[in-house]
Amino acid sequence: MSDMAQATKRLRLARGGLLDLRNLGAAALLCLLLALPFVVGGFLLYTLTLCFANALGALSVSLLVRYSGEVSIGHSFFVALGAYAVAIMEKQFGLSLLLSLPVAVLLGIAGGIIFAYPSRRLSGIYLAVSTMALALALPEILVHSEKVTGGFEGLYVTLVPLPSVAKELQRYYIALAILVVACLALAQLRGSRQGLALLMARAHPSAAEAFGITRGWARVSVFAISAALASVGGAVMAFASSTVSPNSFTLWSSIFLLVGSVVSLNRLTLPAGIIGGAFLTLVPNYLASAGDWVPILYGAALVAVTLCVNCASDIRLLLARRERP
Amino acid sequence: MTVLSGFASDLPPLLWSGAVSGCLYGLGALGLVMTYKSSRVVNFAHGNLAGLAAFLVYGFSNGALLNLSWGNAVLFSAVLIALIATLSYALISPIVFKSDLASTIATLGIGLMLQGLIQLLFGADIVNLDLPVPRFGFSLAGVRVSSYDLTVLVVTLLIVGALFFVIDRTRLGIAFRAVSTNPFASRVCGLNLRSVHLFAWLSSAVLGLVAALLIVPTTFLSSTTMSSFMLQAFTAAVVGGFNSLPGAAVGGVLVGIAMNLFAFYVSPEFMNTFLLAVILLTLNLFPGGLLEKVSGGRV
Repeated sequence: MSDMAQATKRLRLARGGLLDLRNLGAAALLCLLLALPFVVGGFLLYTLTLCFANALGALSVSLLVRYSGEVSIGHSFFVALGAYAVAIMEKQFGLSLLLSLPVAVLLGIAGGIIFAYPSRRLSGIYLAVSTMALALALPEILVHSEKVTGGFEGLYVTLVPLPSVAKELQRYYIALAILVVACLALAQLRGSRQGLALLMARAHPSAAEAFGITRGWARVSVFAISAALASVGGAVMAFASSTVSPNSFTLWSSIFLLVGSVVSLNRLTLPAGIIGGAFLTLVPNYLASAGDWVPILYGAALVAVTLCVNCASDIRLLLARRERP
Repeated sequence: MTVLSGFASDLPPLLWSGAVSGCLYGLGALGLVMTYKSSRVVNFAHGNLAGLAAFLVYGFSNGALLNLSWGNAVLFSAVLIALIATLSYALISPIVFKSDLASTIATLGIGLMLQGLIQLLFGADIVNLDLPVPRFGFSLAGVRVSSYDLTVLVVTLLIVGALFFVIDRTRLGIAFRAVSTNPFASRVCGLNLRSVHLFAWLSSAVLGLVAALLIVPTTFLSSTTMSSFMLQAFTAAVVGGFNSLPGAAVGGVLVGIAMNLFAFYVSPEFMNTFLLAVILLTLNLFPGGLLEKVSGGRV
């Protein structure tokens, strides 16, 4: 409901040509990220590149939560789809990221539709349970189809699109560019007719059906878009870390994506994505010595943010009541 | 002909051992269904709590934490687990009535914390934890029945019997049924929803403890095995319908048998994939589970 109201407000703002403070903030952040490679280097740059990949993953979960009100704890499946698409395209055909990225997107869309179709009419918990099964099934599929996926050891990704530029810089800027394009596309979706239709199917299912937007259609299309986004995230992840292996796609990595999405309050903007991605990438890196504390910290963050959001909405409700006696 | 006779001699043991492990999936599923029916929350921390329970029993009886006898260790861990279950319900209690989605996400957070706790206390150890029952076995109509199988059956029957007795005959059980049918009306009638929720969460934690203790002897205990056990329990709950307690028990046995047949005749490596297929198929053919009551709808 509030999502829809916000979307229409945005639309009006955009048409009125008013400057949006939030857009300015995002632009400033982008400038900072663009200039960063001139200041820092090495490990931090690599970490940030991974952060962009995780940001895409967190955004994909946020998209699902925002547009259909569902949670998925199986998005590592779609991330793996993209990552392995890049690695396999390189191994089999010698193609680099720019050519394998569209393949990753298509695979993500196809995977999302195939998976969401059976559960299109069911309430949220069933979707969550089947995504859990998806996440748990993934490692055994990857490990036991060794010929294609390289089994336990996984595959390497070494090709870069531009041979003459330094690899690190290329990885950083291409990942950033993909993330920015994804965020612009999300903003476009939010204001578009299709985006409004999807939001309406969530907020007022019966009204939406009267307009010809069935719930099943909305569910499947949101899931397909989200899966495609996750798959792009996976492609960037493979490109950034130059290796893919089943270890990075477990049930826990799926749940971590959800943590990243919740921590960024399920928002779909560039800064939110970066926050989510940074939480997933920087926390384990800087707490490497306290490895076992990471799940506890993530779990605590998940519970704390959920409770705080609930508290905030309570307070807002109270204030609204006070305003109109 | 040989194929057929091989089939005839293979099938009974497969069905038997499938049903035995299915009882345990059913126990796990019962816990999930109890929390879901009363508080509309799918407790994703269930498996982690059960895993922690088994680890605690191990730690208390093997000298890693304390050096108690097996019975005392179980008692002690049960008390601790009940405490943790109460605490986790207290954590999500502000959002239980408001948003199913938020509370489900919060249980995932609790599950992560419990998982971290297991890793923190016990590391990545792989642990063997046997039941203190005398070992014997006999053959019955081509099926080998071991003392372990009998223990599982007896314990499951006792626990499920006690649970259904409580739900069918006692005031608490009536309250539980009322709350799961219509929370609003039961509140109007003066029932305390919180205490009913707590009853469901506590009994689900105990069911998890029993199921974990009984299932560990067949495999081993590590910080990762519990997630696949949780998937088996979830599949059982989906097959039986998340709204039906008898369904969960029946679903457990069915899933156990189906898994055994799949592992024997097709491939033992793709169990989780098989369960995913079972979940998706069930959701398409019987969206409310196999034991769903047929009821009409009004337009």
